[in-house]
Amino acid sequence: MISAKKCQQIPAAKTLGSATPRKPVLSVSARKIKDNAADWHNLILKWETLNDAGFATANNIANTKISLLSDDKIELESSSPAFDENAEQRPREYSKELEALCEELQATLDGLTKIQVKMEKLSSTTKGVCELENYHYGQDSKRPLLFHTWPTAHFYEASRQLSDMYGAELLLKRTIVEELAHTTDHDLTLTYLSLWLHQPYVQSNSKLLLESMLLETGHRAL
Amino acid sequence: MTQERPLLAVQAALKKCFLAVQQQQGLWQSTLADCRPLLAALRNLAEQLQAAQNLRFEDVPSLRAFPGLQERLRRKQLEAGDTALDKLGERLAALLKVRDTVSSHVGQVLQIYEQHADTLGIDAVLQASVLSPSVADMLEWLQDIERHYRSSYLKRKYLLSSIHWGDLANTQALPKAWDRISEDEHQDLVQDTLLNVSFFLEE
Repeated sequence: MISAKKCQQIPAAKTLGSATPRKPVLSVSARKIKDNAADWHNLILKWETLNDAGFATANNIANTKISLLSDDKIELESSSPAFDENAEQRPREYSKELEALCEELQATLDGLTKIQVKMEKLSSTTKGVCELENYHYGQDSKRPLLFHTWPTAHFYEASRQLSDMYGAELLLKRTIVEELAHTTDHDLTLTYLSLWLHQPYVQSNSKLLLESMLLETGHRAL
Repeated sequence: MTQERPLLAVQAALKKCFLAVQQQQGLWQSTLADCRPLLAALRNLAEQLQAAQNLRFEDVPSLRAFPGLQERLRRKQLEAGDTALDKLGERLAALLKVRDTVSSHVGQVLQIYEQHADTLGIDAVLQASVLSPSVADMLEWLQDIERHYRSSYLKRKYLLSSIHWGDLANTQALPKAWDRISEDEHQDLVQDTLLNVSFFLEE
């Protein structure tokens, strides 16, 4: 984890008159952007952890569902009156298990939703920093860079792209949570699991976006 | 005394070589074990690819709202497949290194033997004792071991190079085909040979 709040400002009074060269103080905007970059890193890490946990649960749902279906088949084939008592109890027990798993997956989805809301917030605060800069400098094209090479708008663009990816992914996951336990088709079940695991809307360049943001803000050494 | 010196030199070289084989066999086995989860991952991926191919995404109402989903998923699945294949490639390189290390050790022993062959005499070469198999036997075993690593490596390399995503059935059968290579060859050859020379190595 990268600690977001570590890039503290050195109080000016203390360094006044000191002869030794000191680290340049980050502007408030730069600090905000740097904290945001660290938050991005941590949120994506949390997302991945939840995604793995959710995949394990989804896998269990699919397996439980398969055994439930094959049990139903056996019961249909041997529907002698002697089996009736068991036949009524068995599926209910299984459904309970399935229900518990579905609740677990729903809880994971809730966790992912919270993360995505925070991601949106990161995007909007970055946008705010951009707007503040626009207000400050207007049409003046000679704006100072906050860090090394990125204009501030670049941070917003990266944030926006990441937010959009995870937003689309969340919608897909919501659909999977709704549908998975109701699917009887083997190919569709496996495809839902595959979709959960491989996260098709989180594109491969998301890592590049994040890493370049961390590099630019100095969280990663060159 | 002078007759014994060449024999001692060859025996020392044999010992060194068997010890190297022992160590390399450990590496070989652990590398093969590392391959298992990767092969299973490839099989799973092939299953997932097959399932998505069988499915008509546009016929699934819940997925209709997601643009380009099938293609995106396929791309991600293939990326994961390539990652697994890359890792398998690294393991294969480790197997190759074992093969080459063993070959070079066996080559050195043969060279030392040839240097002393004239002075050794055929009787000394064929003589076995309670503690030590004959030099001739040990040289033969080492060549068998070398051949075993060569052929096993080649079969595995050939199997992995035959994987392509157009042939999903083949990829799904990959772990079984991999196991069949081990079953077909004399798996315990190296271990049995090392047992045969265990007293000799402790001498």
